[in-house]
Amino acid sequence: MTDFMMLQRRDALKSLLALSAAGALAACVGEGKSEGSAKKLSASPKLSASEMALISAMAQTIIPKTDTAGAVEAGVPAVIQSLFTEWGDDNYRTYWRAGLDNLEQHFLKSGGQAFAKMTPSQQANLLGKYDAKAYGEAGFDDFYKSMKSTIATAYYMSEPGATEELAYEAVPGEWRGCVPLSEFPKTWAT
Amino acid sequence: MADFDAIVVGSGMSGGWVAKELCERGLKVCVIERGKSTKPTEDYTDMMDPWDYPNLNKVSKSEEQEHYAIQHSIYNWSADTKHWWVKDSEHPYVASEGTDYTWRRGYHVGGRSLMWARQSYRLSAIDILANKTDGHGVDWPIRYEDLVPWYDYVEEFAGISGQAEGLDILPDSKFLPVFEFTCGEELARDRIEATFPTRRMIHGRCANLRRATPEQQALGRGSCQVRNKCHKGCSFGAYFSSVSATLPAAERTGNLTLMTDQIVAELEHDAKTNRVTGVRIIDRNTKATKTVTANIIFLNASAIASALILQNSKSAENPNGLANSSGMVGRNLMDHVGGAWASGRIPMTPELADKTTYGRRPNGFYIPRFRNHTEEGEGFVRGYGYQGGVHRGGWSGDNSGVGKDFKASNQTPGDWYMSMGAFGEILPDERNRVTPHPTKKDQWGLPLPLFDARMRQNEINLVKQASKDAVALLEAAGAVDIRSSEDYDVQPSRPGNSIHEMGTARMGRDPKTSVLNKYLQTHDIPNLFISDGSAMTSSACQNPSLTYMALSAKAAKHAADFYAAGKI
Repeated sequence: MTDFMMLQRRDALKSLLALSAAGALAACVGEGKSEGSAKKLSASPKLSASEMALISAMAQTIIPKTDTAGAVEAGVPAVIQSLFTEWGDDNYRTYWRAGLDNLEQHFLKSGGQAFAKMTPSQQANLLGKYDAKAYGEAGFDDFYKSMKSTIATAYYMSEPGATEELAYEAVPGEWRGCVPLSEFPKTWAT
Repeated sequence: MADFDAIVVGSGMSGGWVAKELCERGLKVCVIERGKSTKPTEDYTDMMDPWDYPNLNKVSKSEEQEHYAIQHSIYNWSADTKHWWVKDSEHPYVASEGTDYTWRRGYHVGGRSLMWARQSYRLSAIDILANKTDGHGVDWPIRYEDLVPWYDYVEEFAGISGQAEGLDILPDSKFLPVFEFTCGEELARDRIEATFPTRRMIHGRCANLRRATPEQQALGRGSCQVRNKCHKGCSFGAYFSSVSATLPAAERTGNLTLMTDQIVAELEHDAKTNRVTGVRIIDRNTKATKTVTANIIFLNASAIASALILQNSKSAENPNGLANSSGMVGRNLMDHVGGAWASGRIPMTPELADKTTYGRRPNGFYIPRFRNHTEEGEGFVRGYGYQGGVHRGGWSGDNSGVGKDFKASNQTPGDWYMSMGAFGEILPDERNRVTPHPTKKDQWGLPLPLFDARMRQNEINLVKQASKDAVALLEAAGAVDIRSSEDYDVQPSRPGNSIHEMGTARMGRDPKTSVLNKYLQTHDIPNLFISDGSAMTSSACQNPSLTYMALSAKAAKHAADFYAAGKI
């Protein structure tokens, strides 16, 4: 009996926490929110197919395929799913979920459809504008900046990101403090 | 008959040296380590590539909060290095009301010699005379000249990279070749030394084998591969640790016994002969206790643990613990004070624009103390040095832009940035202390450490000036967009935060005011020696490990000589 009561209390507490966290977040994220913020977010410990589609599309827009791999080819979405399911706690999951929902709502409103369904040029156009605002206005959407930083870290720590896009030497073997940039024109991965 | 000629409590920076020196002089030595064994092939994580790590090599917030609430704030904390640090959840301690203490450590063979930042600087004659000169603390019972042969000796064995400068405030070591400056550092040095003719910016001095000598290679050590992965453990044995250097040297004599997982609870003392006869140990896993005996005991468990072992070794004859007739055991706890820092961008010059670096240097620059030396300090005695670097900016996810432009901006090396922080001297003060907690105990029934240490007015005034000087030095280097501790209410770092705890069984001339004599032998008990950070009479502002090494080698020689002569 006591255990059951405790369990119920804990569940109630948890959802209260999740709600207040989401509320607090919604209050400080950008344009998509208002009436949308009251809606119930999924509690699944895994990012859904539509959430993953949004992440993949944003990651690939931020870091597209050029002569080197883009974020998707480098496996960035899988890293984010792993961080979400295996690494993060409930606060982290709530933070991501609310932040992603906010972005999805924003793009639905400004682009008329899910971000993942847009053409690459529409994605680049809309995300470019959003990005400029996020870095131009303090507090506009801190989740976006944090997500972008995670995407970039996952990319530049990946094998193609480190070894093809940037320069990586597992064992440099030597130190040279002052060498011509023409010999080593790329940023060191680590 | 005793089990061993000597017991060494602790296998880290100083214990490894004592073991090596005693074993090489023919003594049978038992090193007792409270932590687990260290197996480089299993425990070192330096052969991983960035993409091998799950979850970007990050430790989860919940694990940090639950198990590593204090340890996780270390600067090189990551999932693949967390095993070098204790779980705070298993190893709690207490700070007195109104005080705070940061005690970072690891329990494994090698101790913090595996995680140290390897910066290695001699104390100077000026440092050793500081207490006598300004009246704080007590006079060291030795002089710089007494340390010179021991510095020479440990440096040649350990391998210290650096460049001779001939400075009285920071004597030269026996150096391996230097890790050269970056082009940005060369420019910063020229500008700083032109603006401040009595300030110097020199190469960092570090215990990395820039070029391994035959003596070092014979121990299985190789030259530094310039990966800057030292904090993961080095499979090349290229930085000094007791695991890479001193313990293998002790091992090859055939005289070493290494016991792991055994916590020393107390020393056993024969009141009739006034000798320590052994140590009572507790197996950390089974909690079984037993006694190991020896004719000589060395404490090298760290300034905190050694002071606690002495204070926990109470008897009717020694109600305050052993070797504590002075009441100084656990007192005069020092560290180095931080909290003064600055960073900024060095505007591009034609020379800098065209240059970059190759390799990941495990080192930086050093600005030796100038306050209360060539320039006066305002409202404080002693001084501080700075450590830092000048590097090109790398990639960042915290930049605006999306698409090809974003990729391109990260692919091109960025501006040059300079950053540095100060380490300042802390005065010996009897009020700063660690004692066994009167009631709270750990899972082995041993009292928790109770810290009562504060940064006091001298440290506060010192840090305030160090903060202003940091900005002035960056300005002299031509830096712009400077961010610094001046942007905040400048505060000294918490006691213990620099992980340079020392002074809790200080050397001195008078048994009434100090614990150790000039041989690192306790005044009270002839066959008991301490040569870890506890022994330090003053802290100077240099990273202390090199001095612990020199003191340990010196102490072991004296102990072996006294033992051979039948004096102990």
